[in-house]
Amino acid sequence: MLFDKEYTFYGIHAEKVRKLTFQFDKKNNSIFLSNVNVYKTAPIIGFLYQRKAELDKTPEIKPTKIFLNEMLNHLNDLKYSYQLIMLLDTKNESSFEERVNKAFRYYGNESEQTLADEQLFEQYVRGGIDVLYEKLIENAVNPEDYLKNLYDFMEEINDRYNSVITDDSILELCRLEI
Amino acid sequence: MLLKKMKLLNFRQFIGEQTVEFATDENKNVTVIMGENGSGKTTLAQAFTWCLYGNTDFDDKLVLNRNLERQLLPGNECVVKVEIDLTHGKTDYTIIREQVYRRELTGKIKVEKPELKIKYKKDGQQEFVRPYEVDFIVKQILPMELSRYFFFDGERIGNMSKEINKKGRSDEFAQAVRGLVGLNALIKALEHLKPTSRHSVIGSYNKDYDFNSDVRITQYTKEIEDYQDKLEKIDQRLNEIENEKQIAQSKCDELNIKLSQLPDTERLQKEKEKLQAKLEQTQNAYASAVSSLLKQFNKSAASYFSQSLIKNALESLSKSEKLDKGIPDIHARTIEFLINRKICICGTKIEVGNEAYNELKKTLEYIPPQSIGNSIAQFVKESESRTRYAGDFFDTFINQYATIRDYENNILQFQSDIDVIEKQMEGNERAAGVVQELRRYKKVISDRQHERDELNQKKGSIKTSLDRAITERKELTLRDERNKKIEVYRTYALRVFEELSLTYKQKESETRKNLEININEIFKSIYNGGMSLTIDDRYNIQVFVKDEIGISNDVETSTAQSISIIFAFIAGIIKMARDNSKKTDDIETVLDTEPYPLVMDAPLSAFDKRRIKAVCTVLPNIAEQIIIFIKDTDGEIAEEHLGSKIGKRYLFDKKNEFETYLMPR
Repeated sequence: MLFDKEYTFYGIHAEKVRKLTFQFDKKNNSIFLSNVNVYKTAPIIGFLYQRKAELDKTPEIKPTKIFLNEMLNHLNDLKYSYQLIMLLDTKNESSFEERVNKAFRYYGNESEQTLADEQLFEQYVRGGIDVLYEKLIENAVNPEDYLKNLYDFMEEINDRYNSVITDDSILELCRLEI
Repeated sequence: MLLKKMKLLNFRQFIGEQTVEFATDENKNVTVIMGENGSGKTTLAQAFTWCLYGNTDFDDKLVLNRNLERQLLPGNECVVKVEIDLTHGKTDYTIIREQVYRRELTGKIKVEKPELKIKYKKDGQQEFVRPYEVDFIVKQILPMELSRYFFFDGERIGNMSKEINKKGRSDEFAQAVRGLVGLNALIKALEHLKPTSRHSVIGSYNKDYDFNSDVRITQYTKEIEDYQDKLEKIDQRLNEIENEKQIAQSKCDELNIKLSQLPDTERLQKEKEKLQAKLEQTQNAYASAVSSLLKQFNKSAASYFSQSLIKNALESLSKSEKLDKGIPDIHARTIEFLINRKICICGTKIEVGNEAYNELKKTLEYIPPQSIGNSIAQFVKESESRTRYAGDFFDTFINQYATIRDYENNILQFQSDIDVIEKQMEGNERAAGVVQELRRYKKVISDRQHERDELNQKKGSIKTSLDRAITERKELTLRDERNKKIEVYRTYALRVFEELSLTYKQKESETRKNLEININEIFKSIYNGGMSLTIDDRYNIQVFVKDEIGISNDVETSTAQSISIIFAFIAGIIKMARDNSKKTDDIETVLDTEPYPLVMDAPLSAFDKRRIKAVCTVLPNIAEQIIIFIKDTDGEIAEEHLGSKIGKRYLFDKKNEFETYLMPR
C-alpha cells in the first residue's frame, strides 16, 4: 500500500517541497508546516489543475522524507484523496464501475493495475507540487509576498472551482443513500 | 564551602607569615576583622581572589611586599604565598598559590607565573590534586564568575549593582548561578551526553561504528560530525548575539532616558515612546495573526481544495445504480460452505461450472470480505466531515488576511511617524548627538536580529540534514550485528538525554522561581518600600516598583537600594544552596549543593543605621559563614547587632604603608 510506509520526495520535487516548507519570516512561519501537509494537498491540486509530473531523481539534490509515524497519522486523509482521484479520473478509466473498483475494491491490493494507479496518483502529487511552487513560492521575495501569493491562490481556487458550491449541497448528497 | 583558615606570606602589606582563623561554629559563624581605612581590609579580601584565581582587582599587579621587593638582592628570590584551608563537599582542601619573584643580575625583577597547588585529605592521608586538575577543582568549589558576589568589596558595590541589573551578562554567569543553586549534576550529565557534540557520550558512538561493513557509514558519520560542528558554532554565535543585543538594548534605554530628560525633546520623546509601544503591539498582533492564518491553512486547505471534487464524486455515486448487491448477514464462508456441500439451501445441486455454481461465485463479490459497501459508506462519512471542516474556511481566511494587511499598513504608519519625530529631534542641537547614537545602537540591534534569524534558519536546515543523515545511517547500521549494538546503545543514551533534559527544564524553572521568591523575601526584610525583583531566564535581575496602578517598569536604583539588591541576590543564592543541601530524599538529591560563606569588605558604609541593623540580623541566619571587614565606626554598630553570632575577632595593626599585622582581639 502507498501510505503505510516512510515516504521520500526526490530531485526537483524534494527541492520544491523544501521551499514550500521553508521558513520565510522571522517568526519561523512557513506556508506548509511540514512535508506531510504538502503531500496531503498536492495530489488534489495536481488533479484540479490536471498537472502531472514524472519522477526526477537528480542525484545532486538531496531527497526529503516524511517519517512513518507521520504517514500513519495522516493515513485516512491520504487514502481519501487517493479514492477521490480514482473515482473521478475518467482519463485513466472511462467505466464508472471500474473507477469505483479502483477506488474501493482494489485499493492497496498490489496488483499490477493498482500499482500503475498508484504511480498515476504520484504523478498528480508531483504535478501538484509544481503548481503549488509556481503559485506560492516562485516569485516571492519578502514575507509579505508569500502571504499575498497564498491569498491570490485561495481566490483563484475559489473562483475556478468553489464559488458555486455550497457546503449544504454537499452535505445533502452525503445524506442520500448511496 | 566553608573557610577555615587563611595563611599569608608576604602578600602586599602583610609581611612575613600571618594567619587568620575563621569562625566555623554553627552558632557563632561570624568573623569580624576591624581596621581603619587603608589598613588592609581590601587587600585581605583580595587575597582570597588571588589564591583561588590568581588575579586581583589592584591596578598594581605585583603582590609581593614592597619592602621585601626593594631589599631583594640580585640573584636572590622571594616567595609570595596565600594558603586557604576550606571544606567543600565533605572534603578538606588546602588551596595554595605561590609566586616567585627573582632579582636578576641586571637589577630587574622577574616575576614567575603564580602556581596553584591543591592538597586534600583522603583516608587521613594528605594528597595533592594532579596539576592539570587544579583549575577544574577551583571551578567546582566556586566559579570565578560568581566569586565576586561571595567575596565582595563595599567600594565596588555601586558597580556590582549595575552589573547585576545589567542585561547582557555572559551565559557563564547564568550557568554559574544554576550550578550554585544545585543544578550542577544535571547540567554536567546533559553536557556529558549531549547529542549535538561529537565529544560527548552520544557523539563518541560515531567512532565505534564498524566502517568496514559499508563505506556509506563512513560518509554519513563524517557528514553527521560536520553538521554537529556547525550546530555548535551556530549556538555559540547565537549566544554572543543575544548578549550583544542586550548590551545595545540597555544603551538604547539609557539614551532614551537621556532624551526624555532634555527639556527641548521631552515632549517629542514621550510621543515617540507612545508610538513605539503601539508599534510593538501591532507587530506582535501581526505576527500572531500570520501564524494563526497559516495554521488554519494547513489544517483546512486540503479539505477546502477538495470541495468541488467531493461534490462530483458524491454526485456520480448517487446517480449510479446500486453498486453493492450484498445480501444481508451472508459471509463468504457461508457460500463456500454451500459450494463444498454441493447442495444449496433451496435443494439445488451445485457442481463446478453449473448455473448455480456460477451464480454463487458471483455473489462472493458483493458480500464480506470482498464487499465494498462499507468502504463507500466510510468514504461518504469522510466526505461529510471534510465538508464541515472546510466550512467557512475561505471567508475566515479572507477576513484574517484583511486584518493582516491592516496591521501591515499600521506598522508602516507608526514607523514613519517615529522617523518624523526623530528627524525633529535631530534638528535640536542638544539632542542631535544622542539621537544619532541611538540610531547606531538601534541598527546594531536590528543587524543582530537579522543575523540571529538567518542563523536560526540555517540551524533548522542543518538539523533536518543531521536527522536525515542519522536515519540513513541507522538503516545501514542495522544490517550489521556489531553496528546494530552500537545503534542500540546510542538510542538508549539519547532517551536518557531526553528524559534528563525534561527534568532539567522543570527543575531549572522551579529553581529560578524559588530563587526569585527567596530574593524578594530577603530584599523586603532589608529594604522596605513597595518594590519587587524579578529574575529572567538569564538570571538578570530587574527591579519593579509597585505604584497605585500596579506594576510599572523598572526604576532607577539608589545606592542603598542597589546594595540591598546585591545582598538579597547573594543571600538568596546562599539560602537556596543551604536549603538544597539539607534535602535528602531521592529526587532532590539530583540537586547537589554546598553551603557558602559570605566574605564582605566594608559593605555597611552606604547604609544608614536602621539598615545596618537589618543586614546584620538577616545575613548570619542565612549564610553558613560570614566574614566581615569593617571600619571601626561601622564596626561598633555591627558588633552590637551581630552580638552573640561573632566567633572570631581580628584587628589590623598597621605599622606603616608596607607593614600590617593581623591581631586576634
